[in-house]
Amino acid sequence: MNGTVGTGGTAVAESSDELRGWREWASSTAPADRAAAEEGIRRAYRRAGLVEPERVVWAGSPRAAVTLVRELTDAGPSVREAVRSAPWARERGRLHAELGAAGWSAHWAATGGRLWESAQSLVDRIRAGVVAELAGRETGPEAAAVRLVLLDAVLGQHDAPWLAAFGTQDGMLDGPLDGLAAVCRSAGWWWPFARVAVVCERPVALHRDEAGRLDHGDGPALAYPDGFALYAWRGMPVPAEFLAELPALTPERIRSEENAELRRVMLEYYGYDRYLADSGARPVHRDGTGTLWRIDLANDEAVVMVEVLNSTPEPDGTHRTYWLRVPPSTRTAREGVAWTFGLDADVYAPVRET
Amino acid sequence: MYRQGDVLIVPVAEEAVPAHVARAPKERRDGRGRLVLALGEVTGHAHAVVGPGDLVREPGPFGPLLLHVPQGGRVVHEEHAAITLPKGWYRVIRQREYVPGSVRIVAD
Repeated sequence: MNGTVGTGGTAVAESSDELRGWREWASSTAPADRAAAEEGIRRAYRRAGLVEPERVVWAGSPRAAVTLVRELTDAGPSVREAVRSAPWARERGRLHAELGAAGWSAHWAATGGRLWESAQSLVDRIRAGVVAELAGRETGPEAAAVRLVLLDAVLGQHDAPWLAAFGTQDGMLDGPLDGLAAVCRSAGWWWPFARVAVVCERPVALHRDEAGRLDHGDGPALAYPDGFALYAWRGMPVPAEFLAELPALTPERIRSEENAELRRVMLEYYGYDRYLADSGARPVHRDGTGTLWRIDLANDEAVVMVEVLNSTPEPDGTHRTYWLRVPPSTRTAREGVAWTFGLDADVYAPVRET
Repeated sequence: MYRQGDVLIVPVAEEAVPAHVARAPKERRDGRGRLVLALGEVTGHAHAVVGPGDLVREPGPFGPLLLHVPQGGRVVHEEHAAITLPKGWYRVIRQREYVPGSVRIVAD
């Protein structure tokens, strides 16, 4: 760990170089190195003082792995505690004792903390996607059963933040967590049982925006080789069919979309400026609540919309704009926003907005 | 009055809360123990209150949702900053949108 621990600028600069490997493994879309992963798994069992698993079974995605795990009848009990949690806790305790509370905190901030948010948000989305596909809904006994299996996974490539904090020097080629680190470098999530280990391929596609959110307008934002995929636009989960439609959007199609959330994505994809230009819109009024726009239509009532800024900034510091249609008689932006909440303009006065 | 995305939370004087509301059935908390004020149908993101309190579905001028946080509370959402609410009663208003011939609720 020499040279990686400390609170000075030098230590941070050094560690970011060493972090690169962990960052790349966490986001890798290369096919799993099955031989290296299996050797890592066997090594992790040996390090835990256990007999190696009789077989290692591969799955195309975490979704397939959950199904496989639930169907196994001869796997024996989970040995995750012995293989991962206990050695993990010992390493954490050792570093904590060595560095002290403040030192550990600075070390985490310079290593795992830098990878944490991006890895963890991906893990959360994969879990949610697997629950949605296998259970069909977020709650209920089936969803709970799937979630339990997911919580029992060792995260392989997505364990990179913790492993980076435990050993940034050389990708941890030798030490108590070397087996776990080897799987992190070469495969996806895995489940250790006494007689069988189930291990996943890595994704074949991963697209994120500058803010690190899943984002792809042109296919899945995350896809595994067996077809398990997540679709997202700037972090928002969207149906696959919806994305396919985006390149052919027209202002009429956008106006006819009934779901305000999906329409917002359509408008972002199409471009607000372009939409307003194509629609012949003009700004009518502007105040502290937003801007009122009007599109006059032949043989139809005018489309009047308030343009409102989300008060909470996006991760990149910008504010997301959204548009709500209000009655054609609306004269001011404040009147329009107040109307959307069923209030008169003179009583609409939030003391805090986020 | 507080706004978090498409939800407006308007204070209601305790005297103005109808007496029967105290005995009205309470909305169930979600799997994470929160009072859900509104749920985004596509994202699954929720405007939710953490901490002690009750949520009552109430037809009429104060409805559809009345929120009581006797010790104050915190409104959280996956994409919006949290809002701290002083203790008391609130009317929860979901943002709506004009559609010729009808009005529709916004799904944030």
